[in-house]
Amino acid sequence: MPQVKIIAKNFMDMVSSLPAMKLDKLYENAFICEAILRSLPPLAKKYVLQLLYIDVPVSASSLQEWVLVDGASKHRVAVDRLIQLRVFTETVDRKKEATYRLNLMFQMNLRKHVVHGGVLPREPMAANITVRLPSLEELDNYAAQQWECFLLHLINSAEVEVTTKSISPSMMKVFQRGLLSQRDNEGSRLTESGFQFLLMDTNAQLWYIIREYISNSEDRGVDSADLISFLLELSFHVTGEAYNMNTLDEIQRITVKDLADLGLIKLQQGRKDSWFIPTKLATNLSISLSDASSRKMGYVVVETNFRLYAYSTSKLHCEILRLFARVEYQLPNLIVGSITKENLYKAFSNGITADQIISFLQQNAHPRVAEKVPSVPENVTDQIRLWESDLNRVEMTPAHFFDDFPSRDVFEAACDFAREYSSLLWEDSKKMQLIVKTEIYAHMKEFLSHQK
Amino acid sequence: MTPVSSKQYTDDVSLLMVLMDTNPLFWSSTATPFSFSKFLSQVLSFLNSIILLNQLNQVVVIATGFNSCDYIYDSSLGHGNLRAETLLQKLEEFVIKDEELNKQESVDGIGSSLLSGSLSMALCYIQRVFRSGSIHPQPRILCLHGSQDGPGQYVAIMNSIFSAQRSMVPIDSCVIGSQHSAFLQQASYITGGVYLKPQQLDGLFQYLTTVFATDLHSRNFLQLPKPVGVDFRASCFCHKNTIDMGYICSVCLSIFCKHHKKCSTCGSAFGQPQTSVSTSNQKRKAPDN
Repeated sequence: MPQVKIIAKNFMDMVSSLPAMKLDKLYENAFICEAILRSLPPLAKKYVLQLLYIDVPVSASSLQEWVLVDGASKHRVAVDRLIQLRVFTETVDRKKEATYRLNLMFQMNLRKHVVHGGVLPREPMAANITVRLPSLEELDNYAAQQWECFLLHLINSAEVEVTTKSISPSMMKVFQRGLLSQRDNEGSRLTESGFQFLLMDTNAQLWYIIREYISNSEDRGVDSADLISFLLELSFHVTGEAYNMNTLDEIQRITVKDLADLGLIKLQQGRKDSWFIPTKLATNLSISLSDASSRKMGYVVVETNFRLYAYSTSKLHCEILRLFARVEYQLPNLIVGSITKENLYKAFSNGITADQIISFLQQNAHPRVAEKVPSVPENVTDQIRLWESDLNRVEMTPAHFFDDFPSRDVFEAACDFAREYSSLLWEDSKKMQLIVKTEIYAHMKEFLSHQK
Repeated sequence: MTPVSSKQYTDDVSLLMVLMDTNPLFWSSTATPFSFSKFLSQVLSFLNSIILLNQLNQVVVIATGFNSCDYIYDSSLGHGNLRAETLLQKLEEFVIKDEELNKQESVDGIGSSLLSGSLSMALCYIQRVFRSGSIHPQPRILCLHGSQDGPGQYVAIMNSIFSAQRSMVPIDSCVIGSQHSAFLQQASYITGGVYLKPQQLDGLFQYLTTVFATDLHSRNFLQLPKPVGVDFRASCFCHKNTIDMGYICSVCLSIFCKHHKKCSTCGSAFGQPQTSVSTSNQKRKAPDN
């Protein structure tokens, strides 16, 4: 199992990495076409729209004519992306001239959309059947709470009993893989990526979990393409509306239950029917990661004296702050701590970087300080970076040590040889000793054997 | 300037204000190259595609009638998807109301639409968006205009144009009539928008998506139609005629086609007009010699 690398990758990167067959099948679903189009860079969207009613292949050179000189690099990125997602099919003719045309299925679905307008994936239930639906605010709170609960559960296996509703242990294992390292005797510890995970914003975390969830779907006997199309479809539902569970098939119903544990969906049970209500987390799934509109209110104030005040009642926030700061006391709505060298060293040794800590502090800055520039005092950010570079003062280079040269000439020649490769790290001409980088060890040996 | 970059979404989120010409005098005239229903279906498809491009995109449609103008569609009020039925219903109501107003007043000769009114409405809407939330989409105005310019609206339209320029809102114009519109040429030129008079109106949708669907961010990278020539002629304030040469008040810059004793706008008293230009020049030059 290769180490999962945590990057704020988005859904579409994952979609584009699907095999061609599956991707073509995905485009049969109009919602996926829509979601894919929306995820494209602005120029690429424009190209799709421009080519929507063109039925013949368009040559790369005429496409190139649409852009100004400044846009050449953006143009290339856009076209590459379109080819990667198989929205463009590229054919190269005999004269080596590339031509593009839109994926037929994709084109058809979008044309339909443009002419008839968008439709909802399924009709919401009538208000008289459902009992009182939660307000949007309640729903947001529910989603946030559920997600936080899940995160706490994720990092702190000891708390399992506290949470009332819990995710199936096997699912939890899936999510914890890569984030926690299991040791039989001393319980689990967060890994480097686990720490980084905690410092990401909610959307990025959600992506990571959903990605894990999807990549693991084959083991559970669920086709990943089906799952992706369902998740994307879900993001086109209206937040806060109730949808009947009967409209889902068996696999989707299981998925919905899993998603409810994550806070993407709220399940409710009526007298006869049961229904699900998508929360903001679900409807944001297809929106690009960097979208600032989904950012939550910040809560952290950092002072120039390295003291840190977090206006939060959340246990999770406290746990996160503990990753790099000393929590001194906890009041009902306030966590007070300070950023110390010791705690930061601990964080660095856990694989968290200074930049991650700083961007976490900046992103979660309390509204009062967020208005200021910079939101985190400069002396604090500088000091955090300095402490990090303290640890990097010594650079390690694998090297080999040579001694006992037969003559000064051989020694000088060896030094020159190493210098030529710019791999001479150290020499002492009196004692006739030298150190070279490992890379040229073999060459060096060969060279010396010839000298003899 | 009002818009602050940090208050805007990244890249390509746009607020598109579409001013649609519904002037019955224009659409019923025989010179009109194609029918209103054809026009409408192409525009509806265009609106759909704008909403399709980004879930945060917002479209507002204002109908520009002969006597009045009104909002007929606002995508932020619905669930994002364009409901053609609601738009058409509102449009019908609007046209009927506009017609009723017509009966009370006499029709003047040219029969121009109330462009100044709808431009001001669009700008008001944009100002409200600017002032409402913390972040807002990038606004732009698209005029789909067919009827002739009404010189009587000159001052009002120029004021709207300058106000759009001040708040950095580009005005795009797509002229579907047979003649170029001097007002819209100036509007697009001054605000940095695109002015286009499509050659083949049957392909209006393609023109709209190729040129006018371009968000402000992408405009830096794409080839768009450049202005070929702008008609800068002004209308006089006294008779609302379009003139090449005229008299300008040196105090408030009001334009007149004939000489007046007093400026009708600011009340400054004018002297006698210098009948021969050459003699006045000589007189002025005299002290230098």
